[in-house]
Amino acid sequence: MFLKVQSATNLGLETIGVDVEVNIASKGLPVFEIVGLPAKSVDESKERVKTAILNSGLEFPAKRIIVNLAPADVPKEGSFYDLPIAAALLASVVNCRVPEDSLFFGELSLDGSLRHTKGGLLLALFAAENNVKNIFVPKDSANEAAIVKGVNVFAVESLSSLLLHLLNKSKIKPLEYKKEILDSFKVKPEFDMAEILGQEQAKRAMEIAAAGGHNILMVGSPGSGKTMLARALPGILPSLQDQESLEVTKIYSAAGRIPPGGSIIVSCPYRAPHHTISRVGLIGGGSRPKPGEVSLAHRGVLFLDEFSEYPRSVMEVLRQPMEDGKLTISRTMASVDYPARFILAASANPCPCGYLQHPKKECHCSEREIRRYKKRISGPILDRIDLHVEVPVVDIRELAETGGAEQFLEPSELIRERVIKTREVQQERFKNDNIFTNAEMKNEQIKNYCQLGKTSRQVLTAAANSFNLSARGYFKTIKTARTIADLANSENITEEHMAEALQYRFKEN
Amino acid sequence: MNQKSGIIKLNDSKYPALLNKIGKDVPKQLYYKGDASLLSSDCLAVVGSRRMTTYGKQIVQKLVSQIVSNGITIVSGFMYGIDATAHKAAVDAGGRTIAVMPCGIDRVHPEYQIKLYSDILENNGLIISEYEGDAQPAYWTYPKRNRIVAGLSKAVLVIEAGEKSGSLITAHMAKKFGRKLFATPSPITSILSFGTNGLIKEGKAIMATEAEDILKFYNKKDKIICDRLSLSQNNSCDRLSLSQVIMQELQAEPTEINNLARKLNVSIPEISKLVSLMEIKGQINKENNKYYVS
Repeated sequence: MFLKVQSATNLGLETIGVDVEVNIASKGLPVFEIVGLPAKSVDESKERVKTAILNSGLEFPAKRIIVNLAPADVPKEGSFYDLPIAAALLASVVNCRVPEDSLFFGELSLDGSLRHTKGGLLLALFAAENNVKNIFVPKDSANEAAIVKGVNVFAVESLSSLLLHLLNKSKIKPLEYKKEILDSFKVKPEFDMAEILGQEQAKRAMEIAAAGGHNILMVGSPGSGKTMLARALPGILPSLQDQESLEVTKIYSAAGRIPPGGSIIVSCPYRAPHHTISRVGLIGGGSRPKPGEVSLAHRGVLFLDEFSEYPRSVMEVLRQPMEDGKLTISRTMASVDYPARFILAASANPCPCGYLQHPKKECHCSEREIRRYKKRISGPILDRIDLHVEVPVVDIRELAETGGAEQFLEPSELIRERVIKTREVQQERFKNDNIFTNAEMKNEQIKNYCQLGKTSRQVLTAAANSFNLSARGYFKTIKTARTIADLANSENITEEHMAEALQYRFKEN
Repeated sequence: MNQKSGIIKLNDSKYPALLNKIGKDVPKQLYYKGDASLLSSDCLAVVGSRRMTTYGKQIVQKLVSQIVSNGITIVSGFMYGIDATAHKAAVDAGGRTIAVMPCGIDRVHPEYQIKLYSDILENNGLIISEYEGDAQPAYWTYPKRNRIVAGLSKAVLVIEAGEKSGSLITAHMAKKFGRKLFATPSPITSILSFGTNGLIKEGKAIMATEAEDILKFYNKKDKIICDRLSLSQNNSCDRLSLSQVIMQELQAEPTEINNLARKLNVSIPEISKLVSLMEIKGQINKENNKYYVS
């Protein structure tokens, strides 16, 4: 008896169809073999399938069972072949047909229930693209797959419920996609901007960064509030647009980072890896390349605390994704593209001991040490950071006494509203350019969208002379000024916007 | 570098007379590069902390530029901080300066100040050392160097020195050699004030608050008319523009932008814009996070 069940495998963000062919021969010694370059996790599928079928109260056929995963020359990995193999065997045991036009995907538990399996969304997208009508996925992964319209998602709880479905006794109903699910996945940011006393300029820089998608570097002594500011940043970012949501969810699905029962990601991702991270951890890798932190931070924030402490080799791999918003990871087994368009929020101390310019504590670093420390962040990386802001130490007591200048204590929600409005302006502007934010503008687009009036050009030229702005610094200032103008809801970049943008330039000393 | 260089022995006629009077520890020879005639000019040693503050930097720039324009040579130890700033201020004002190295004459120490080194030579300055060749500096060569700094000069000016600063060694040597000692006061909250304020308090140093104080000792009248901004002029107007108010605030005290905004009750975008424009015009400068009047 020969049965064929369709499934698919994910490689990076791409999905390839896989036919699971099962032949059950009555002649010959009873064996259960999987062929088609299975990895260990696929080979172990045999034991899971066998035990799960037995534990579902069925008999396992003592026959010669050969499973072929076609195409046979592509190495197979992962635990999701359990369900297609089990479905074929069930059909042969009870002698019914496996539904056609369907993909099966999922990992079995020994008791016959199905476990959450990574990559559910990618499978659904593949089904939609290839006009496959139905997909059978574990119940815990169904919400994630149900995002895709036009595909019937059958949430399978256990092998026995699948059996009843196959026997037409108790049909599983296709899962309906409920928008309400979304709200429960909104992540609350750790801090509200209103909780941070002082640091008005840094907050303003955060607002500009969020509004225009600019990278930001904060320099300040320990305890000045850099980390707090960065953690409050997600709170002023808009929710992801549909398109962005899908991009982000795909990456998280491929990385197996969507929790059981989870669905589409609507909040901006926020990733804050420790500075001991490896290069592969940061950009992704492995023989079958997995996404790294830069891709997990796609359309969100990548916060690198203690930026100067990152090894040079790790820091430099950021160059390409910061420039292109995507990266290609090539390894022996595969070459994979991952998107990586993130806002880099980095923080650093001004010197090795951290207390340079501190009003109360003494800095013990020599000039030489400070110079060397500053050089740790290379020119090309600094060049790709639009906003440079100092975060001085705040005298909390003094602030508390004066009431902390309450008009500056805006809650994140208010700032967020301005950011959303500004993002809308940008979306309208770049609708034909395939970019989302001002920070992504290339020189051509700067020419088109950032026309400077006479006075604003004068300010910029004067600044270029007196501050020794580099060519890149010149364009970065224009981009920042564009965002400031957008925040002020102004069509033109005026002298004021340009002057404010110059506050956030990179200062050599 | 196509500069004159050579060696002056103790019995040489070119050997600076003042240095010869420092007692038994007088250097037996001086290696030099540059214009050796500076050794017999009127010298003022300007020394201070390596960990200079913005305040200290401002004092050096202000005092040194006025002093050198009256023909006085600035002597210092080429260390970063006050020393290097003093050399640089002298060169920038078109004056002459002598750098006394704690290492061999052929070595630039600290090596990243190579630009300043060549600037000093190009502007008819002088580099001297009692050590030959490429000798490394050592802990004990710094105080040795200080005795030459003090020995060459008629007077020593100490700007910013902590409690155990090396500049105090220079100051005490100057006292021992019978030289005049000046010190500028620092805010008593600053750790770099203990040394200098202490010298003034104990009566060891004369308090110097303007170039005139020092120039008087050299029998020179200040030729430069100070172009200090007068506050009272602005105060007469009853309504000031915001940038004038900012200027007033900064004249009183260098301030961070956040504090400035809070004090004047102006939003950050507004104040950012104004200070940027003032910075472009060169009215104010930013250093150590704080804006100050340039």
